[in-house]
Amino acid sequence: MSSRRSLRRGEATSRYLLVGAAIVVVIILLALGYYFYSQGAAETTTGPLTGEAGEGAETTPETTTSPAATETPGEVTLIWASTQLVPPTEQQFVKEELLPPFTQETGIKVEFIGMSYGDLNVRLQSEMESGKVTISLIADLHGGLDLYASKGWLEDLSKFGALEGREFPQVLEDYSRLYGIKAYVPWLTATYVFVVNKEAFKYLPPGLSEEDVITGSEKWTYDALLEWAKNIEAATGQKPLGFPAGPKGLFHRFLHGYLYPSFTGAQVKNFDSPEAVQMWSYLKELWNYVHPQSTVYEAMAAPLLNGEVLIAWDHTARIKDAIVQKPDEFVVVPAPAGPKGRGYILVIVGLAIPKNAPHQDAAWKLIEYLTRPEVQSLILEKVGFFPAVSGVSEKLPEGPLKVLAQGVGNQLNTPDSLVALIPSLGEKGGDFRNTYREAFKAIVLEGKDPQQVLPELKQYLLSLFQATGASLPPPDE
Amino acid sequence: MPLSSLLQDNRVKAWLLLSPTILYLAVFIAYPIIDSFRIAFVKNGSISFEAVDFLLYSPLSEFWSALKYTFLLAILVIPTETLLALTAVILLFKRFRGRDAVIYVLVMPLALSDLAAGLIWYSMLTGKGFLNKLLLNMGLISDPIIFFGYENRWLTFLAVYLAEVWRSTAIVFVILFAGAQLINKEVFEAAEVFGASFYVKLRHILIPMIKPSLQAALLIRTLFAFQVFAVVWILAGRDIPVLAGEAYYSIVELHKYDVAALYAIVIALLSASIGVVYIRVFRETLLR
Repeated sequence: MSSRRSLRRGEATSRYLLVGAAIVVVIILLALGYYFYSQGAAETTTGPLTGEAGEGAETTPETTTSPAATETPGEVTLIWASTQLVPPTEQQFVKEELLPPFTQETGIKVEFIGMSYGDLNVRLQSEMESGKVTISLIADLHGGLDLYASKGWLEDLSKFGALEGREFPQVLEDYSRLYGIKAYVPWLTATYVFVVNKEAFKYLPPGLSEEDVITGSEKWTYDALLEWAKNIEAATGQKPLGFPAGPKGLFHRFLHGYLYPSFTGAQVKNFDSPEAVQMWSYLKELWNYVHPQSTVYEAMAAPLLNGEVLIAWDHTARIKDAIVQKPDEFVVVPAPAGPKGRGYILVIVGLAIPKNAPHQDAAWKLIEYLTRPEVQSLILEKVGFFPAVSGVSEKLPEGPLKVLAQGVGNQLNTPDSLVALIPSLGEKGGDFRNTYREAFKAIVLEGKDPQQVLPELKQYLLSLFQATGASLPPPDE
Repeated sequence: MPLSSLLQDNRVKAWLLLSPTILYLAVFIAYPIIDSFRIAFVKNGSISFEAVDFLLYSPLSEFWSALKYTFLLAILVIPTETLLALTAVILLFKRFRGRDAVIYVLVMPLALSDLAAGLIWYSMLTGKGFLNKLLLNMGLISDPIIFFGYENRWLTFLAVYLAEVWRSTAIVFVILFAGAQLINKEVFEAAEVFGASFYVKLRHILIPMIKPSLQAALLIRTLFAFQVFAVVWILAGRDIPVLAGEAYYSIVELHKYDVAALYAIVIALLSASIGVVYIRVFRETLLR
C-alpha cells in the first residue's frame, strides 16, 4: 500500500519535473524568439529611414557620440571614415602603424572607421540632412566621391592651397576636380596589368622588342599580342595566355575597362557599335591561344607560378604572389593598345573633407601626412595599394615591389593612355559585370553572332545607369 | 489548485510537452522558410514577381541549364554510388583479416568537407597536376589532358561525377552496412542449410532486409544531390551551373537576394517532392 503510494508519488514528481523542464525550455526559447524579433523590429524601423535595410545603422550612434563626449578642450579627435583598408589586418595596419606617427607629430588623435560603400553613403546623407557633421575626413573610391560632390556634400579643397613637395600624375589631378571644385586629393591607386613570364620573350614576333612590351610603346598592340601568342603556341604547343574568367575572377574588368575603350573609345556607349563587333571577333581569335582552363581561374598568380600560362592579365593584388615568390622570372607590363588608344582601368582612392566638417585644418594636416612619399611607399609595402604621387616607385629597393610598381608606373605614363574608371552603380554593380560576362559567353564561348547578342544587352546595360542615376564612367563622356 | 488541475488535463499536458518542439520548428524551420518567401516575392511592401522574371526570362539567368545539370548529376551519381556501396557491403559481409582496415579506407571521404574534396580532385586533374604528370612520365600521353574550362566541360562533368561518387559513396555505404549488420545471422544459416545460392541469398534475404536502410540512404543522397555545390564550384565554376551554385552566385556577385531566395525555394520544393515520391514508392513495395 505505502510502497504503491510512494511509487505514484515518484511518478507524479517525475511528471512535474518533466513539465517544469518543458516550461523552462519554453521560456528560454521565448526569450530567444523575442530577442530575434526585437532585432528584426529594429531593422525594420531603421530601414525606411535610411532606405538601405538598416545595414550600417548599428554602428552610427555610438561611434559618433562617444569621442565628442570624452574630448577635452584643446585636444582634437578626428573621425576618418573609409571604405578602403577595411579588412581586419589592414585596419590593424592603419591603427597601429600608419596613424601613431601622425598623432605623435601633431597631437591630433584619429579615429579610423572602416565601413561599406552603402554605409558611408547612408551616414553622410543623414549627417548632411541633420546638419550635424561628425566625419572630418573621407577615403573612398573616385565613383563614390563623384556622387558626393554631385550632391554638394564636399568642401572645395583648393582653399587649403597646394601640398608642398609632391606631384600628382595629370590624370589624377584632372579626375579629382569635379563639379567645379577640387573635390578630393588622390591618395592611393590600384590597377590591372599584364604579367609576362620572361620565358615568353624568346618567342617575340618580328618587329616587337622586349623593350616595346615593357615600356608600352606604340608597337605593343593587341594585334602584336595575338601574333606573339601564335608564335608561342607554334613553338611550344602551349596555349600561353591566361585570364581570370572563373566566376570569382575579374575578367569582366578586362572586357569593359581594357578591350572596350581600346577598340571603341568607350566602356558603355559604343557597346554594340561596329568597332565593338570587330573587337569581339578579335577576342574570338585571341581565345584560340588562351588556356582553356581560364574559365575556371579566379586569380592568375597560381597558373603563372606553375607555368600553365606565360602571359596573364589580372588585378595587381591577385598576381602579387607570383612576383613576390619569383621576382626574377616575371615582369609586369602595361596593357597593349588598340585602335582607339591604350585602355586600362585605374582605381583611384581619394581623400575628401565633408561640407561643414569639424576640425578641417586638422583633416588637411592628415591629408598632407597621408600623401607623403614615404607614407605612400609604406602603404604599398604593407597593403599593396599603389602611390598616387609621382616618383615613389623609383625610390623603392630592388625586389618584387619595385617590379610591380614599375609596371604600374609604366602603364600610367604611356602617352596613349585611355583611363577607364569603374562606374559606381552600387547594388547594380553585379548586373553591370554580368552583362559583359554574358556577352563574352554568348559570343566567344558559344559562338553566337555579336550583332544578335549586343543590342539587347546594351539596352539592359543602359537601364542599369538609368535605374541608379549614375553617369556613364570615363572615358565615355 | 486550478493550475495543478490544469496540469492534470492530458491535453494541456500534451501541448506543454510538445511546445519546445513546436517552438524549435517555428524558429528554425518555419521562420526561415516564410522569410525566404518574403525575400523572393515581396518588394517595397507589395507582391513582386521580378525575381521570377529574372530567373525564367533574363538572358543573364542560367536557371534552365542549372536545373538540367543538377538533375543530370543526380541521375548519374546516385545509381552509381548505390551500386558501389551495395557491392562493398556484399564483399564485406563475411569477416576476413583486414576487413576493418578496408572499411576505414572506404569511409575516409566522410571526414572531408566537400570543398576539400573538390580541391583535392582539382589539384589532381589540373593541367600540371598529379594525373597528367603521371601519364606524361609513363609516356601514355604527349600533351596534358585539360579537364577544365568551358570548351572541355564534358570532361569537367566527368571530373565532377568522379569526385561526387568518390565523396558520397561513403555515406551510402555506412547506412547500408549498418542495415546489413542488423540482419539476423540465423536467417543466412537457415538459407545455407537449404542450399540457397549466392544469388538467391542476395535477392531474397539481403536486399529485402536492408530495404529500409536503402530507402534512408537514397533519400538522404537525393536531398543532398539537389544541394550539390562546392565540388562543382571548384572544378567547373559556372561552366557547369547547378542550382545551389547559382544561388550563391546571385548573392555574392549579383547582390540579388530575391533571386537567391527563389533558388533556395526551388531546391527546397524539388527536395520535398522527391522525398514524397521516394516514401510512396518504398511504402508500396514494402507492403507488397
